[in-house]
Amino acid sequence: MSMHGMRGLSVFISEIRNCQNKEQERLRIDKELGNVRNRFKNEKGLTPYEKKKYVWKMLYIYMLGYDVDFGHMEAVSLISAPKYPEKQVGYIVTSCLLNENHDFLRLAINTVRNDIIGRNETFQCLALTMVGNIGGREFAESLAPDVQKLLLSSSCRPLVRKKAALCLLRLYRKNPDIVNVDGWADRMAQLLDERDLGVLTSSMSLLVALASNNHEVYWSCLPKCVKILERLARNQDVPQEYTYYGIPSPWLQVKTMRALQYFPTIEDPNTRRTLFEVLQRILMGTDVVKNVNKNNASHAVLFEALALVMHLDAEKEMMSQCVALLGKFIAVREPNIRYLGLENMTRMLMVTDVQEIIKRHQAQIITSLKDPDVSIRRRALDLLYGMCDVTNAKDIVEELLQYLSSADFTMREELSLKAAILAEKFAPDLSWYVDVILQLIDKAGDFISDDIWFRVVQFVTNNDDLQPYAAAKVKEYLDKSAVHETMVKVSAYILGEYSHLLARRPGCSPKEIFSLLHEKLPTVSTTTIPILLSAYAKILMHTQPPDQELQSQIWSIFNKYESCIDAEIQQRAVEYLALCQRGAALMDILAEMPKFPERKSSLIKRTEYSEGDTAEQSAIKLRAQQQTSNALVVTDQHPANGATSPVPVGQLSLVKVPSMITTENDTSTDHPLSQQNGALSNVDPQPPSADLLSDILGPLAIEGPPGATVQSEHNAVSGLEGGSDAADGSAIVPVDEQTNTVQPIGNIAERFHALCLKDSGVLYEDPYIQIGIKAEWRGHHGRLVLFLGNKNTAPLVSVQAIILPPAHLKVELSLVPDTIPPRAQVQCPLEVVNLRPSRDMAVLDFSYKFGTNMVNVKLRLPATLNKFLQPIQVPAEEFFSQWRSLSGPPLKLQEVIRGIRPMPLPEMANLLNSFRIMNCPGLDPNPNNLVASTTFYSESRPAMLCLVRIETDPADRTQLRMTLASGDPTLTFELKEFIKEQLISIPTAPRSPAPPAAQPTPQIPPNDPAAILAGLLS
Amino acid sequence: MPVAASAIYFLNLRGDVLINRLYRDDVGGNMVDAFRMHIMQTKELGTCPVRQIGGCSFFYMRISNVYIVIVVSSNANVACAFKFVVEAVALFKSYFGGAFDEDAIRNNFVLIYELLDEIMDFGYPQNLSPEILKLYITQEGVRSPFSSKSSDKPVPNATLQVTGAVGWRREGLVYKKNEVFLDIVESVNLLMSSKGSVLRCDVTGKILMKCFLSGMPDLKLGLNDKIGLEKESQLKSRPAKSGKTIELDDVTFHQCVNLTRFNSEKTVSFVPPDGEFELMKYRITEGVNLPFRVLPTIKELGRTRMEVNVKVKSVFGAKMFALGVVIKIPVPKQTAKTSFQVTSGRAKYQASIDCLVWKIRKFPGQTEPTLSAEVELISTMAEKKSWTRPPIQMEFQVPMFTASGLRVRFLKVWEKSGYNTVEWVRYITKAGSYEIRC
Repeated sequence: MSMHGMRGLSVFISEIRNCQNKEQERLRIDKELGNVRNRFKNEKGLTPYEKKKYVWKMLYIYMLGYDVDFGHMEAVSLISAPKYPEKQVGYIVTSCLLNENHDFLRLAINTVRNDIIGRNETFQCLALTMVGNIGGREFAESLAPDVQKLLLSSSCRPLVRKKAALCLLRLYRKNPDIVNVDGWADRMAQLLDERDLGVLTSSMSLLVALASNNHEVYWSCLPKCVKILERLARNQDVPQEYTYYGIPSPWLQVKTMRALQYFPTIEDPNTRRTLFEVLQRILMGTDVVKNVNKNNASHAVLFEALALVMHLDAEKEMMSQCVALLGKFIAVREPNIRYLGLENMTRMLMVTDVQEIIKRHQAQIITSLKDPDVSIRRRALDLLYGMCDVTNAKDIVEELLQYLSSADFTMREELSLKAAILAEKFAPDLSWYVDVILQLIDKAGDFISDDIWFRVVQFVTNNDDLQPYAAAKVKEYLDKSAVHETMVKVSAYILGEYSHLLARRPGCSPKEIFSLLHEKLPTVSTTTIPILLSAYAKILMHTQPPDQELQSQIWSIFNKYESCIDAEIQQRAVEYLALCQRGAALMDILAEMPKFPERKSSLIKRTEYSEGDTAEQSAIKLRAQQQTSNALVVTDQHPANGATSPVPVGQLSLVKVPSMITTENDTSTDHPLSQQNGALSNVDPQPPSADLLSDILGPLAIEGPPGATVQSEHNAVSGLEGGSDAADGSAIVPVDEQTNTVQPIGNIAERFHALCLKDSGVLYEDPYIQIGIKAEWRGHHGRLVLFLGNKNTAPLVSVQAIILPPAHLKVELSLVPDTIPPRAQVQCPLEVVNLRPSRDMAVLDFSYKFGTNMVNVKLRLPATLNKFLQPIQVPAEEFFSQWRSLSGPPLKLQEVIRGIRPMPLPEMANLLNSFRIMNCPGLDPNPNNLVASTTFYSESRPAMLCLVRIETDPADRTQLRMTLASGDPTLTFELKEFIKEQLISIPTAPRSPAPPAAQPTPQIPPNDPAAILAGLLS
Repeated sequence: MPVAASAIYFLNLRGDVLINRLYRDDVGGNMVDAFRMHIMQTKELGTCPVRQIGGCSFFYMRISNVYIVIVVSSNANVACAFKFVVEAVALFKSYFGGAFDEDAIRNNFVLIYELLDEIMDFGYPQNLSPEILKLYITQEGVRSPFSSKSSDKPVPNATLQVTGAVGWRREGLVYKKNEVFLDIVESVNLLMSSKGSVLRCDVTGKILMKCFLSGMPDLKLGLNDKIGLEKESQLKSRPAKSGKTIELDDVTFHQCVNLTRFNSEKTVSFVPPDGEFELMKYRITEGVNLPFRVLPTIKELGRTRMEVNVKVKSVFGAKMFALGVVIKIPVPKQTAKTSFQVTSGRAKYQASIDCLVWKIRKFPGQTEPTLSAEVELISTMAEKKSWTRPPIQMEFQVPMFTASGLRVRFLKVWEKSGYNTVEWVRYITKAGSYEIRC
């Protein structure tokens, strides 16, 4: 059309195409650019035709990948040309060559606006396309209302309104803060009444974007969506051009169902019924056919329908229908369809009651495990892993074990990990679990991580009746000729500990066991030798009466390794040899290992890490999060793996108590990471029930935002919720108002804030007790000492302290005595290890009894993010190179913070310094800006440099712009939020809390422990 | 001797293989794909002649529109490899009668295969002398019609030539007219600052000869170089003649020059090969006579205008003249319009090399033409980096002028039959990289 007759352009293009090589092309293009420059500079000006031609040439050159850094002015000016061909090239070239930040776009805004509000449809379309393509902020500010008007206008043709909807969608996605969508609910509803399917499809995309941000406003659209679905499902009034392979507008169907998934439920029974009819129809009407395109379209619709069915928690019958359909899919030969079937079945597993139905397809899924296509095998593995429960665990694990020997190497690690987890989670009896793990090690030793065999050792150690069985079993494996090194490790450990239990059996005398182990020694690496040495020492110790020959044999081995180059081996050999020669003392020192404290399986933690994928905020994802957080609460209520019937909340404490005391057999793996202090087993046998209840409710109450403790690493979304809640929550969380009649002295929140800045001080004080804290921080380690001072003449009894650490901290509290004698002070050391950056805080759940008063407080521990910082002065050139290398989110984040407490810049620098973020003066030339740096220490990663820049506005001290950069996205986000909180929530007088010792408590005698404590801490 | 090549490829500019020859099997046959992918199709082409990709080294150079690529996987002698390529190209040129390009390769590929077999064996370079190879690789190349050498020579005894004392000359040549042509060709390399001070300056020269002499003549060449003159004055025990003496550096001779005589008597005496050859090469770093002085003034007037004034002064004798003078004055990339005023020659703006090109066909000595140009620039979006001001480049040829001042004092021919010879001597000075910063 417009290209017609542009001879110069087509000659140029054909010349370029005829170029033999890159160099010729470059020469030709440089020549042409020179020509274009010359023409644009011509004083006489260009005719519209010439201008058009040269701008087209520029675009062509730009498309070939050459820099075109001039002529934008000409392109933009063409937009205002009166004729279509010129306008078209103007719009196209502008949207290609310029991005949203270009200044030239400002020149065009007015023209574009005139085109949008004008009467000419083609011009409107061109303008809308360009605005949609660029989607800049200024466009959104000045044009969004006009585009909205255009979308609603009844006088426009559908073509224009379609484009308007898409243009608005793009503007909204890009600048949700600018495009004003208040009151759009009614208009959207009105739009959904549209008959034209094109406009509907575009509006539906818009609705999806709007509803994903805030669904509550758009309730009125819900029935309309259902109506549209109904219309499409019945194929009423669908024009031929919107029918794709006989399916009425699959795109619109998919989008509508996607939009519906953003609404939590459908309350209106009529609407719900209609929707279910439609879904039923989709489920019934979909089948696998020959035509690929038709399959694609109908399956897209089907899977979206499945997602919607899952979302709506449909009745069981419909679910089973879905599963049956998927069962048909996974039996098809076509791999794509089978993949989709398996994937969706895995998704269906989230809906709890379909598991039984899915189990019917177990055989088919197991066949898929042997599929030639690796992605299908992975899906099948995921599905098997997900559908496994107590009833079918044995079958599935055995199937996985069998498959392990034939699986390809890329999958083996995942496969063995999953088999190990399933075996642990659903073991009907522990001997079976041991069998499975040993088989795993035997078959895929190379792919067994240390965690797996650590875990089996833990189990064996904690279960007395399992020990002889395990010892006999590993001996069987050792008798085989070729044994994997991991197997040697396990068997060395188990035989060392428990081989004496087998001593009566034939072939299990200490000597035989020793020789069995010893013949493996030459084949193993240096990491295994220490374990073998320990095993020898233990065998020697267990040999009663002592066997001289064995003793001399083992001593000679120790002798030999005394000069080993590996320090660990050498140390063990020297120590064991010295110990052995002590005789009887050996018995005490090498006694059986104590039971391991029950802890969350590290294996399951590992899978949680690997599952965390991109934080895409889709409906399904949100759903999945809800599911997992529910699952967490559910398993928390269940005492162990067995119970399936829901436990009434009222009985919670009764169910929970036994499971807490008999922790040894508790394999409930989702148990929150609450660390009991050592006094737990000595708890007064008749504690007041309210106390126990509070104890158990404690973790649940703290964990208010779903997944704040266990899943804060899951993604940034939950971290955000958790963070803001934790910051708002006051330091004391009264669990039971009746028990807490004691009033604290001083403001707890203020004390906490003061402790955030310094390392020692008073954390809590009431008439009976004063809790002081002294802390030392080194790298990612922290050592805190709690000073519990009894202020009274009577003892405090039933003292209990429990740390509820967030997921990013590892906290170990030493034993807290049950009673604190009168006027005495008790010190309780506390070890903190930081794993990851997070603003969540550890909470100290502290309770004691004074007379009849039961006091329970929950205190935030000042193990805040800044404690793991180490100030560092960065030289200017390093600062700038780091600053430049960390570009853009998520590593570098910027935020304008409003509403902060106004303070002069030096004070802010001081504040940052007190947070261990070191001000680097002189780096920023602007005196109103502040640049600071620090390093963050955590266990998981090496020390991380963080750079901060704060730009203040001298005219308005209540707002500033903060930019933060570090090598870790989570760290950047957390630190930014942390500083922000500190800037906003600074207590009005942070520096003037009266020293605790000087408080008006005149009755304190001079030898008062609180005073001593205060003296010690100040 | 070190290995020079495992394989050699001849590629055209698109990267298609014209001819290749594998000398060792330690490199794969698809190595050229790696070259095409990692060198030819990237911007690095032409930046570095030696590249290593995946354990193999690639040495390449471009001759007209052909890339010659040598692939080796061992630690080869790079200088040897490049010398081999240069010599091979010279050999091909002498076979094809002057031209070496894609068409020449396509037209002569049988001959090239035959030559490639002969000049390198298992990666070791062999005899590359055209005179000798032409004796026993007799297949004639397809010649362009302009070359006019007859080819009806008797086939001589090859072994004698290869093993004989004078391997570069056949016996029994007879010419009716005995003639010797001697050319001294010098190229001047110069880098001059904008203030006119010389930053770097040297001359590389070579003496080319063409001999049409009968029998086995013995030639003796005398130059006005320092060593030769001093030796002569010693021998003849008389003071050296006044006048300029030239100090030659890095002299290399053709293999025909008798080096023992050169060492003892400091005279260049030799039995020449028949036809054309390069007798010697030398370099001079001091006492260079620059043929041209360039005085540029370039003013940037604001963001969109520039004024360029260039004055070129020829400082050789007024009777001489330079030919083919081209002065390339760089301008910024965003140059849009130019207007010129020149006192001689012609000037225009070439966008493809971002230069104002001023050509003067015939440039007499002791004159100083000037160019003044106005350049208009177009404004650009890109944040304006200050223009780097590349140097002005110059090309020229000045016949009968040597930048070094080297002169032939005598050229004596002695043959046992005692015929008369005619000697022709020519001088020419060319521009090497003649750059003046502005």
